[in-house]
Amino acid sequence: MSKPKVAIFDFACCEGCQLQVVNLEEEILDLLSVVQPVEWREAMSEKSDTFDVAIIEGSITRREDEERVRAIRERAKVLVALGACATVGGINKLKNRFAMEEVRRCVYDAAADMPHLDTYPTKAVGEVVKVDYQVHGCPISKKEFGYILRCLVTGKEPFVPTYPVCVECKMQENVCRYEFNEVCLGPVTRAGCGAKCPSAGFWCFGCRGLAEDPNVQAAREVMAEYGKTPEDLQGRLQLFNGGKEQAS
Amino acid sequence: MRKKPTRKPTIRKLTDSALRTWVAGLIRRQRVIGVQADGERFAFKPLTRAEDLRLDYDVTKIPPKKLFQPAAEPLLEYDQAANYRSIFETEPFVLFGVHPYDMVAILQMDQVFSEKHCDAHYFARRQNATIVVCDVQKASPNVFAGCMGTATIRKGYDVLMTRVGGHYVVEAGSPKGEALMEGLKNRPEADEASLHRREQVWEDNAKFLVRHTLRMKPAEIPALLQRSEDHPVWEEKAARCFSCGSCNLVCPTCYCFDVRDDVKWDLQGGMRRRYWDGCMLLNFANVAGGHNFRKNRADRYRHRYYRKGLYVPAKLGGEISCVGCGRCITACVSKIANPVEIYNRLLEER
Repeated sequence: MSKPKVAIFDFACCEGCQLQVVNLEEEILDLLSVVQPVEWREAMSEKSDTFDVAIIEGSITRREDEERVRAIRERAKVLVALGACATVGGINKLKNRFAMEEVRRCVYDAAADMPHLDTYPTKAVGEVVKVDYQVHGCPISKKEFGYILRCLVTGKEPFVPTYPVCVECKMQENVCRYEFNEVCLGPVTRAGCGAKCPSAGFWCFGCRGLAEDPNVQAAREVMAEYGKTPEDLQGRLQLFNGGKEQAS
Repeated sequence: MRKKPTRKPTIRKLTDSALRTWVAGLIRRQRVIGVQADGERFAFKPLTRAEDLRLDYDVTKIPPKKLFQPAAEPLLEYDQAANYRSIFETEPFVLFGVHPYDMVAILQMDQVFSEKHCDAHYFARRQNATIVVCDVQKASPNVFAGCMGTATIRKGYDVLMTRVGGHYVVEAGSPKGEALMEGLKNRPEADEASLHRREQVWEDNAKFLVRHTLRMKPAEIPALLQRSEDHPVWEEKAARCFSCGSCNLVCPTCYCFDVRDDVKWDLQGGMRRRYWDGCMLLNFANVAGGHNFRKNRADRYRHRYYRKGLYVPAKLGGEISCVGCGRCITACVSKIANPVEIYNRLLEER
């Protein structure tokens, strides 16, 4: 079996997820034993127009990004969204609550009219092209990336949790953040991180996006019981989920 | 599974300092998992110092099931030729300080895991355990073991400890327990007065470990459920349910698991593990072909009560598979997981 050619492309993001892959360190040799990287800005100088697997990091924030990702999709047999910016839009979606003109002026001031700064409301990669595999998180977990990549090259469907973070929190024997009177997004956020933040004493920031069929309406109602308001919840949801409120 | 000891069990009286000496001796010789403080709460953890043992705890965050069925447990390794090797990562250990309701749950799991096919991984761990049960000294905020007949226990343990006044009465309940109590042979036998006070503790615990009052006998629950399938309470409570599985995972009688493989970088061999699962989770009932036969939140919500009060009891000769530990009540963020509230509600008009 010849090794699939893999190209990693970055869009609007901090490139920290790509860095996680670079940070695999010794495991990079294992990675190279199953795939052949042909383009990967943070790790190599070569570029390539031919590849089997495209890994997309970052979100789509300009029309030209959209064209570029569509072209990549056409050339790729398999497309992977890497990290929260790619899978759910990530913190880039914070700007979607404002007028684009206001956003441009605020960030770029006098340079706002430069053509390459023609920003538009952020989209997750899946809102533009078909995504075959999602590697969630901000940043991604190296372990999960390796697991999903191995599933990809062996043609298996990876197990990516659809249930809330609470499952992994209980597995870690954490005390619920709500018992500390904190608003935690765990009950509506997709697990798979191993409940890293609650295990370290923080509330869940929701970086893996909403769980499947999340009960956001219940979350809103529950706020009162903890002396909080739906706005407290909304504020937290905005960070990674664009303030998306979908009652189930 | 267990034979009743034919001779009279050893019953001794132990001061706090004698207890510490005994536990310190056990720790020197073998692995001891004991109840310890963990932040503001309590947990079963490897014991390295006798003074860390907290038999005055109210309830542990996670029940002792984690010692017999860990949250993520390796089952086997496989290679490219489809050879496999079962993995048994276990060694003899003493499990110190299990409350009676949790012991009842362990005995139920012994039955569940030996039904039809004996679960080798469960029993490898289980047979390695010597269990020291300790009667409850402090009621947890949501305990209702007194309603479930699980506040005290008279069988199934290896050793039973009860705090009476300023000391403990320690009784062996099995040959393993007798062996564990070898180290106590110079301690005095429990006197009549202590045994009498122990009876009093049992009576009190049955009466007072009742933070929520079930308005029926546990034996009446199956029939009640059988006529409650379309009760409005299921939809009503499920509207607030996150389907987060917290009530399942903290439950001492929830034992469902999912099995998943992880292939190694050689893309040939790999590891098969099982993980805690829960019937509240959306995809719990996903089957081959992608069909989910319990997709509706209220169906899943109802299922947990039917499981505890009707389906599992059918396997257990009628015994209700809820031991009244109250962990689900505490763990539920939405506060909709109180079994006592639900069963009482089913008694009411719709």
